[in-house]
Amino acid sequence: MQNAEIKMTEKESLELIATMINKAKNRVSETGTMYLFWGWLILLCCLVHFTALHFFNYPYAYLVWLSTWIVVIVQFFYFRKKKKFKKVTTYTGEINRFVWLVFLVSTLLIIFITIRFKRYELIDPLILVLYGMPTFLSGIILKFKPLIIGGICCWLLSVFSVFIPVEYHSLLIAAAVILAWIIPGYFLKKNFKKENYNGF
Amino acid sequence: MDFKELDPILHSQLRLAVMSLLISVKEAEFTFLKEKTNATSGNLSVQISKLKEAGYIEITKQFNNNYPQTICKVTPKGILAFENYVKALQSYMTL
Repeated sequence: MQNAEIKMTEKESLELIATMINKAKNRVSETGTMYLFWGWLILLCCLVHFTALHFFNYPYAYLVWLSTWIVVIVQFFYFRKKKKFKKVTTYTGEINRFVWLVFLVSTLLIIFITIRFKRYELIDPLILVLYGMPTFLSGIILKFKPLIIGGICCWLLSVFSVFIPVEYHSLLIAAAVILAWIIPGYFLKKNFKKENYNGF
Repeated sequence: MDFKELDPILHSQLRLAVMSLLISVKEAEFTFLKEKTNATSGNLSVQISKLKEAGYIEITKQFNNNYPQTICKVTPKGILAFENYVKALQSYMTL
Protein backbone atom coordinates (compact mmCIF):
# COMPACT_ATOMS: atom_id res chain seq x y z
CA MET A 1 0.00 0.00 0.00
CA GLN A 2 2.47 2.60 -1.22
CA ASN A 3 0.33 5.36 -2.70
CA ALA A 4 -2.11 7.04 -0.38
CA GLU A 5 -3.76 9.05 -3.13
CA ILE A 6 -4.84 6.08 -5.30
CA LYS A 7 -8.47 6.65 -6.24
CA MET A 8 -10.78 3.93 -5.11
CA THR A 9 -14.26 2.95 -6.16
CA GLU A 10 -16.92 2.79 -3.42
CA LYS A 11 -16.79 -1.01 -3.58
CA GLU A 12 -13.00 -1.02 -3.15
CA SER A 13 -13.31 1.34 -0.18
CA LEU A 14 -15.77 -0.95 1.57
CA GLU A 15 -13.59 -3.98 0.83
CA LEU A 16 -10.53 -2.21 2.26
CA ILE A 17 -12.42 -1.28 5.44
CA ALA A 18 -13.60 -4.89 5.90
CA THR A 19 -10.09 -6.29 5.30
CA MET A 20 -8.46 -3.93 7.78
CA ILE A 21 -11.10 -4.47 10.47
CA ASN A 22 -10.60 -8.22 10.09
CA LYS A 23 -6.84 -7.84 10.28
CA ALA A 24 -7.17 -5.96 13.56
CA LYS A 25 -9.87 -8.20 15.03
CA ASN A 26 -8.72 -11.64 13.96
CA ARG A 27 -5.44 -11.20 15.70
CA VAL A 28 -5.75 -13.77 18.49
CA SER A 29 -3.80 -12.16 21.28
CA GLU A 30 -4.64 -14.71 23.96
CA THR A 31 -1.76 -17.16 24.08
CA GLY A 32 -3.13 -19.27 26.94
CA THR A 33 0.18 -18.94 28.79
CA MET A 34 -1.32 -17.31 31.88
CA TYR A 35 -4.11 -19.89 32.11
CA LEU A 36 -1.57 -22.72 31.89
CA PHE A 37 0.91 -21.10 34.25
CA TRP A 38 -1.68 -20.36 36.95
CA GLY A 39 -3.51 -23.62 36.29
CA TRP A 40 -0.44 -25.76 36.91
CA LEU A 41 0.68 -23.65 39.87
CA ILE A 42 -2.69 -23.88 41.68
CA LEU A 43 -2.99 -27.58 40.82
CA LEU A 44 0.41 -28.24 42.35
CA CYS A 45 -0.47 -26.22 45.46
CA CYS A 46 -3.76 -28.13 45.85
CA LEU A 47 -2.06 -31.51 45.58
CA VAL A 48 0.78 -30.57 47.97
CA HIS A 49 -1.75 -29.13 50.44
CA PHE A 50 -3.97 -32.21 50.28
CA THR A 51 -1.07 -34.71 50.52
CA ALA A 52 0.61 -32.89 53.43
CA LEU A 53 -2.64 -32.65 55.38
CA HIS A 54 -4.29 -35.94 54.51
CA PHE A 55 -1.32 -38.34 54.51
CA PHE A 56 1.18 -36.61 56.83
CA ASN A 57 -1.11 -34.61 59.11
CA TYR A 58 1.16 -31.61 58.67
CA PRO A 59 -0.64 -28.67 60.36
CA TYR A 60 1.07 -25.93 58.30
CA ALA A 61 0.16 -27.42 54.91
CA TYR A 62 -1.64 -24.17 54.01
CA LEU A 63 1.76 -22.41 53.84
CA VAL A 64 2.17 -23.78 50.30
CA TRP A 65 -0.31 -21.11 49.17
CA LEU A 66 2.19 -18.38 50.07
CA SER A 67 3.97 -19.27 46.82
CA THR A 68 1.03 -17.76 44.90
CA TRP A 69 1.63 -14.36 46.55
CA ILE A 70 5.23 -14.39 45.36
CA VAL A 71 4.04 -15.22 41.86
CA VAL A 72 1.47 -12.35 41.94
CA ILE A 73 4.29 -9.88 42.74
CA VAL A 74 6.58 -11.29 40.00
CA GLN A 75 3.67 -11.22 37.54
CA PHE A 76 2.91 -7.56 38.35
CA PHE A 77 6.42 -6.53 37.25
CA TYR A 78 6.31 -8.86 34.25
CA PHE A 79 3.06 -7.26 33.00
CA ARG A 80 4.39 -3.74 33.53
CA LYS A 81 7.38 -4.55 31.36
CA LYS A 82 5.28 -6.36 28.76
CA LYS A 83 2.82 -3.43 28.51
CA LYS A 84 5.65 -1.09 27.48
CA PHE A 85 6.45 -3.25 24.45
CA LYS A 86 2.87 -3.81 23.36
CA LYS A 87 2.10 -2.84 19.76
CA VAL A 88 -1.65 -2.69 20.11
CA THR A 89 -4.27 -2.45 22.84
CA THR A 90 -7.63 -3.97 21.99
CA TYR A 91 -10.90 -3.26 23.78
CA THR A 92 -11.45 -6.96 24.56
CA GLY A 93 -7.93 -7.30 25.99
CA GLU A 94 -8.50 -4.26 28.18
CA ILE A 95 -11.86 -5.52 29.55
CA ASN A 96 -10.41 -9.00 30.08
CA ARG A 97 -7.55 -7.59 32.17
CA PHE A 98 -9.99 -5.73 34.42
CA VAL A 99 -12.14 -8.86 34.84
CA TRP A 100 -9.08 -10.71 36.21
CA LEU A 101 -8.13 -7.73 38.37
CA VAL A 102 -11.63 -7.78 39.91
CA PHE A 103 -11.18 -11.52 40.53
CA LEU A 104 -7.82 -10.98 42.25
CA VAL A 105 -9.18 -8.22 44.53
CA SER A 106 -12.34 -10.23 45.35
CA THR A 107 -10.30 -13.35 46.15
CA LEU A 108 -8.02 -11.45 48.51
CA LEU A 109 -11.04 -9.88 50.24
CA ILE A 110 -12.84 -13.24 50.59
CA ILE A 111 -9.69 -14.84 52.06
CA PHE A 112 -9.23 -11.91 54.45
CA ILE A 113 -12.88 -11.95 55.61
CA THR A 114 -13.11 -15.73 56.08
CA ILE A 115 -9.81 -15.84 58.00
CA ARG A 116 -10.88 -12.85 60.14
CA PHE A 117 -14.08 -14.68 61.15
CA LYS A 118 -12.25 -18.04 61.41
CA ARG A 119 -14.61 -19.61 58.86
CA TYR A 120 -11.84 -21.53 57.13
CA GLU A 121 -14.26 -24.15 55.80
CA LEU A 122 -15.84 -21.49 53.56
CA ILE A 123 -12.62 -20.46 51.77
CA ASP A 124 -12.59 -23.18 49.09
CA PRO A 125 -16.34 -23.15 48.25
CA LEU A 126 -16.31 -19.34 47.94
CA ILE A 127 -13.12 -19.39 45.87
CA LEU A 128 -14.81 -21.90 43.55
CA VAL A 129 -17.68 -19.43 43.09
CA LEU A 130 -15.15 -16.70 42.32
CA TYR A 131 -13.13 -18.91 39.90
CA GLY A 132 -16.25 -19.34 37.82
CA MET A 133 -16.84 -15.60 37.38
CA PRO A 134 -13.69 -14.45 35.45
CA THR A 135 -13.44 -17.77 33.61
CA PHE A 136 -17.03 -17.53 32.34
CA LEU A 137 -16.70 -13.82 31.47
CA SER A 138 -13.39 -14.36 29.65
CA GLY A 139 -15.11 -17.09 27.65
CA ILE A 140 -17.85 -14.63 26.66
CA ILE A 141 -15.38 -11.82 25.84
CA LEU A 142 -13.07 -14.07 23.80
CA LYS A 143 -16.04 -16.02 22.35
CA PHE A 144 -14.33 -19.18 23.56
CA LYS A 145 -16.55 -22.09 24.64
CA PRO A 146 -14.03 -24.12 26.73
CA LEU A 147 -13.72 -21.16 29.14
CA ILE A 148 -17.51 -20.77 29.38
CA ILE A 149 -17.86 -24.49 30.17
CA GLY A 150 -14.93 -24.21 32.62
CA GLY A 151 -16.67 -21.35 34.44
CA ILE A 152 -19.90 -23.34 34.75
CA CYS A 153 -17.91 -26.36 36.05
CA CYS A 154 -16.46 -24.16 38.83
CA TRP A 155 -19.96 -23.17 39.95
CA LEU A 156 -21.13 -26.80 39.89
CA LEU A 157 -18.09 -27.81 41.96
CA SER A 158 -18.90 -25.05 44.49
CA VAL A 159 -22.36 -26.56 44.95
CA PHE A 160 -20.82 -30.04 45.24
CA SER A 161 -18.38 -28.78 47.92
CA VAL A 162 -21.27 -28.29 50.36
CA PHE A 163 -21.90 -32.07 50.37
CA ILE A 164 -18.38 -33.39 50.93
CA PRO A 165 -15.96 -33.21 53.92
CA VAL A 166 -13.85 -30.03 54.12
CA GLU A 167 -10.54 -31.95 53.92
CA TYR A 168 -11.38 -32.91 50.31
CA HIS A 169 -12.16 -29.33 49.22
CA SER A 170 -8.64 -28.73 47.91
CA LEU A 171 -9.21 -31.63 45.48
CA LEU A 172 -12.27 -29.78 44.13
CA ILE A 173 -10.10 -26.71 43.55
CA ALA A 174 -7.67 -29.00 41.69
CA ALA A 175 -10.52 -30.29 39.52
CA ALA A 176 -11.68 -26.71 38.91
CA VAL A 177 -8.29 -25.50 37.68
CA ILE A 178 -7.97 -28.49 35.36
CA LEU A 179 -11.42 -27.82 33.86
CA ALA A 180 -11.37 -24.01 33.89
CA TRP A 181 -7.76 -23.08 33.22
CA ILE A 182 -5.53 -25.98 32.14
CA ILE A 183 -7.75 -27.57 29.47
CA PRO A 184 -8.91 -24.19 27.98
CA GLY A 185 -5.29 -22.99 28.26
CA TYR A 186 -4.06 -25.77 25.96
CA PHE A 187 -6.91 -25.05 23.50
CA LEU A 188 -6.02 -21.33 23.52
CA LYS A 189 -2.35 -22.12 22.94
CA LYS A 190 -3.25 -24.35 20.00
CA ASN A 191 -5.54 -21.65 18.49
CA PHE A 192 -2.93 -18.94 18.99
CA LYS A 193 -0.32 -20.96 17.11
CA LYS A 194 -2.79 -21.71 14.34
CA GLU A 195 -3.98 -18.09 13.91
CA ASN A 196 -0.65 -16.32 14.28
CA TYR A 197 1.49 -18.51 12.09
CA ASN A 198 -1.02 -18.91 9.24
CA GLY A 199 -1.58 -15.79 7.22
CA PHE A 200 -1.35 -12.22 8.44
CA MET B 1 -31.49 9.84 -4.07
CA ASP B 2 -29.45 12.04 -1.74
CA PHE B 3 -25.72 11.76 -2.55
CA LYS B 4 -23.40 12.35 0.35
CA GLU B 5 -19.98 13.68 -0.50
CA LEU B 6 -17.10 11.35 0.31
CA ASP B 7 -14.70 12.83 2.87
CA PRO B 8 -11.45 13.50 0.93
CA ILE B 9 -9.35 12.88 4.04
CA LEU B 10 -10.72 9.33 4.32
CA HIS B 11 -11.17 8.62 0.62
CA SER B 12 -7.54 7.65 0.16
CA GLN B 13 -6.24 4.11 0.39
CA LEU B 14 -3.65 4.31 3.15
CA ARG B 15 -5.49 6.80 5.36
CA LEU B 16 -8.67 4.72 5.12
CA ALA B 17 -6.70 1.58 6.00
CA VAL B 18 -5.18 3.29 9.06
CA MET B 19 -8.58 4.57 10.22
CA SER B 20 -10.17 1.13 9.75
CA LEU B 21 -7.45 -0.45 11.89
CA LEU B 22 -7.66 2.21 14.60
CA ILE B 23 -11.46 2.05 14.75
CA SER B 24 -11.20 -1.63 15.74
CA VAL B 25 -8.71 -1.23 18.62
CA LYS B 26 -8.23 1.08 21.59
CA GLU B 27 -4.80 2.27 20.47
CA ALA B 28 -1.99 1.01 18.28
CA GLU B 29 1.69 1.61 17.82
CA PHE B 30 3.15 2.93 14.56
CA THR B 31 4.87 -0.41 13.87
CA PHE B 32 1.53 -2.25 14.15
CA LEU B 33 -0.02 0.05 11.51
CA LYS B 34 3.06 -0.36 9.30
CA GLU B 35 2.93 -4.15 9.61
CA LYS B 36 -0.79 -4.37 8.81
CA THR B 37 -0.83 -1.88 5.91
CA ASN B 38 2.52 -2.91 4.36
CA ALA B 39 3.26 0.80 3.86
CA THR B 40 6.70 2.43 4.05
CA SER B 41 7.53 4.36 7.23
CA GLY B 42 7.82 7.66 5.35
CA ASN B 43 4.49 7.36 3.58
CA LEU B 44 2.69 6.16 6.70
CA SER B 45 4.19 9.01 8.70
CA VAL B 46 2.89 11.61 6.23
CA GLN B 47 -0.60 10.07 6.15
CA ILE B 48 -1.02 9.79 9.92
CA SER B 49 0.09 13.44 10.20
CA LYS B 50 -2.74 14.37 7.80
CA LEU B 51 -5.23 12.40 9.91
CA LYS B 52 -3.92 14.17 13.00
CA GLU B 53 -4.25 17.60 11.36
CA ALA B 54 -7.87 16.76 10.52
CA GLY B 55 -8.42 15.91 14.20
CA TYR B 56 -9.32 12.29 13.37
CA ILE B 57 -6.53 10.69 15.42
CA GLU B 58 -4.39 11.52 18.41
CA ILE B 59 -0.67 10.80 18.36
CA THR B 60 1.38 10.30 21.51
CA LYS B 61 5.13 10.07 21.24
CA GLN B 62 7.03 8.47 24.08
CA PHE B 63 10.36 6.90 24.83
CA ASN B 64 10.72 3.42 26.19
CA ASN B 65 14.27 2.40 27.13
CA ASN B 66 15.59 5.03 24.66
CA TYR B 67 13.41 3.47 21.95
CA PRO B 68 10.89 5.94 20.44
CA GLN B 69 7.27 4.84 20.31
CA THR B 70 4.41 6.51 18.43
CA ILE B 71 0.99 5.56 19.72
CA CYS B 72 -2.06 6.36 17.59
CA LYS B 73 -5.64 6.53 18.80
CA VAL B 74 -8.84 7.47 16.98
CA THR B 75 -10.71 10.53 18.34
CA PRO B 76 -14.51 10.95 18.71
CA LYS B 77 -14.34 13.31 15.68
CA GLY B 78 -12.55 10.55 13.76
CA ILE B 79 -15.19 7.97 14.71
CA LEU B 80 -17.96 10.32 13.52
CA ALA B 81 -16.14 11.04 10.24
CA PHE B 82 -15.60 7.32 9.68
CA GLU B 83 -19.28 6.56 10.33
CA ASN B 84 -20.36 9.31 7.93
CA TYR B 85 -17.91 8.04 5.31
CA VAL B 86 -19.34 4.49 5.55
CA LYS B 87 -22.91 5.85 5.34
CA ALA B 88 -21.95 7.87 2.24
CA LEU B 89 -20.40 4.77 0.66
CA GLN B 90 -23.54 2.79 1.40
CA SER B 91 -25.72 5.45 -0.25
CA TYR B 92 -23.67 5.04 -3.44
CA MET B 93 -23.75 1.24 -3.21
CA THR B 94 -27.54 1.06 -2.90
CA LEU B 95 -27.93 2.74 -6.29
